[in-house]
Amino acid sequence: MNKMFAVIKREYLQAVRKKMFIFMTLFFPVLMAGLFIVPGLMVAKGLGGKKVAVVDGSGALKNAFAHHLEPATPDPKQTLSGKRRGELPQSIDVEYVPANGTASPTAAAKPYFDRMNADKSSGQHLDAVLVIPGNAFEGNDAKMTYYSRSSTDVFTQERLATVANRAIQRQRLSGRGIDATVVETLTREVPIESVQLSRSGEQKKGSEATLIFGFIFAALLIIPSFIYGLETMRGIVQEKSERIVEVLVSSMSPRELLTGKILGVAAVGLTQVAAWLTIIAAGGAFAAASAMVAGFDVKQFLRPMVFVYFALFFLLGYLTFVCVYAIAGAACNTDKEAQQLVAPIQMLMMVPWFVMFAIITNPDSSFAVALSLMPVYGPITMFVRTLVSEPPVWHILVSIGVSIVTIAVFFYVTAKIFRVGILSYGKRPTIPELWRWLKVA
Amino acid sequence: MSVVLAVRDVVKTFGAVRAVDGVSFTVQRGTITGLLGRNGAGKTTTIRMITGVFFPDAGSIEWLGSDRDARDRIGYLPEERGLYRQMKVKEHLLFLAEIKGKRGSSVVASAERWLKRFELWDKRDAKVEELSKGNQQKVQLIGTLLHDPDLIILDEPQSGLDPVNMLLVRNLLRELKEEGRTILLSTHMMAEAERMADEIILVHKGKVVLSGALDAVRDSFGKNTLHIDYEGDGGFLEQLPQVKRATIVPNGAEISLADGADPQQILEATIGKLRIRRFELAAPSLEEIFIEQVGAETMTMEANR
Repeated sequence: MNKMFAVIKREYLQAVRKKMFIFMTLFFPVLMAGLFIVPGLMVAKGLGGKKVAVVDGSGALKNAFAHHLEPATPDPKQTLSGKRRGELPQSIDVEYVPANGTASPTAAAKPYFDRMNADKSSGQHLDAVLVIPGNAFEGNDAKMTYYSRSSTDVFTQERLATVANRAIQRQRLSGRGIDATVVETLTREVPIESVQLSRSGEQKKGSEATLIFGFIFAALLIIPSFIYGLETMRGIVQEKSERIVEVLVSSMSPRELLTGKILGVAAVGLTQVAAWLTIIAAGGAFAAASAMVAGFDVKQFLRPMVFVYFALFFLLGYLTFVCVYAIAGAACNTDKEAQQLVAPIQMLMMVPWFVMFAIITNPDSSFAVALSLMPVYGPITMFVRTLVSEPPVWHILVSIGVSIVTIAVFFYVTAKIFRVGILSYGKRPTIPELWRWLKVA
Repeated sequence: MSVVLAVRDVVKTFGAVRAVDGVSFTVQRGTITGLLGRNGAGKTTTIRMITGVFFPDAGSIEWLGSDRDARDRIGYLPEERGLYRQMKVKEHLLFLAEIKGKRGSSVVASAERWLKRFELWDKRDAKVEELSKGNQQKVQLIGTLLHDPDLIILDEPQSGLDPVNMLLVRNLLRELKEEGRTILLSTHMMAEAERMADEIILVHKGKVVLSGALDAVRDSFGKNTLHIDYEGDGGFLEQLPQVKRATIVPNGAEISLADGADPQQILEATIGKLRIRRFELAAPSLEEIFIEQVGAETMTMEANR
């Protein structure tokens, strides 16, 4: 027992002193947040400012493309939920060109096409040109044309089309002699807000936020398992290749050694997770306080149970993965061999990550439920389900039970393979050979 | 003398190979016992069973005279050395003692004493990988001794050591013996074993072919071996009719006499050809005994290895 503690202590102290650990602990949550939140905001904001020339053949839509009085600071809640879709977003800067006197608005647009080639710093640069035909209010075959260098900027195009269409509709209604205030009333959009009704009747808002937080938490749960699993594997390979293992197993049983290593690495992982949760809690509280993410109901992700489940399912998933990596480490003599051996297994273990979108958006589908009750995939899937939904308690208990049994079986197999493998310095064993080891040990 | 360790009829098989095939011996307290044999004879496998790395397929290993956990009673220096490269020297030593069940201030003091003695004090907080190979070996040797073992098992302790460190190890072993510690020394270098060992166990192809006190073993082969030191080319000695077998080295030879041969005739044959510096009739060297026992063929392989 004391010997195992010596191994735990060594593994722990060696790992937490590494620069990698400190870097991961401090910057990983920031990195994750950046990775998921920033692109979300960027898409919402149309990837920064766009400068567009609107060549209007009707000459009547000037007002629609002028910016209305906007709040001094942009409101991300409104940006994300799109309440003001009919209005021009701040990020699009329109240069309005009335072309109602000209024979063809397209011909009038010619000089503006050339400006799409202009240098960005010159102030003359345009990202796109929208041409509105002169017969926009009457003609059945009227068609607007959007010219841009990149055909993929669907977002800007869609927003401009919406703005133009709303303006055109209003013009048509006004043309029929309907009063402007009536037009305003008739065309007002009804915004949609998504509310998740939980079993306890509690209401949660903000489904985009759920998606983003789901991904962040899933990444925090799964990535350390891979990183520290690999570390464990490399540690075992190193002990073999540098012949330390003989001194170790002449002092304690391979099982004690293996248990010590796995628990030591688990302690490292838990330390890291504790640090992350603290950072997230602090960051979340700060964000909530400063209304940085006013649209997100951050508090719903900072419930105490989220932290409890996170720690629990992290530990279960982590121990499952570490056992798999330890087998690979015990069976192989070089990092390269071991990595080749785990690569296909790793892909299999990644399955929940690949289907994460489906799980988060449909946490109570039979697919998600099945995955959450399966060995190996259980911990991460079940955690995500508890985060975005409210699975029945028996699901959670079964998932925990399955995971514990899985870990016990994996540990038993690992200990046997470890016992034979750590002292075999030959070539990498084949799967049938591993099977023989299992029976011999 | 009391017995510290008794190995009885142990067998270890790897696939079709019987690496150790019914080996028995005892190790007496306060002696240096040489476990001899060429590489592949089964020495390391035998040691790994004693240290608990392998379980014997048959037979038993008995520890006597203490109820300390058998694993903790051993200080083991494996043939292939290994330390964690990233760990600091002193920290590593304390870890090695801790996995043998020793911790606390007495071990720390002991580690510091050894580090000073081996001139590693300045390097106590350096990482192992920053040390020279010789210094790493010293660290490993300290790690073998730090937990105050009853039995010190050294597998080829001098392989890869320079002459200075070899001397250091040799002196250390003598000193440990004087302190009353028991040492099991595995080596294929017969001359080294001859210099150090009280008892020898000669292993060949997984079996003990000879064992006992070194002097008794040598005496049992009789004093019919000529040890000659000379200047000149002694190659012709092999051809003499009185010679059964000769091991010729530069400026010397060890000759097994043919039955009934008179050493005086050999001395006469050397006159005018060699300048004799020593001419002694004595017990054979361990190397001779080894050849006698296992055959010259395997020794040639050993030499070419």
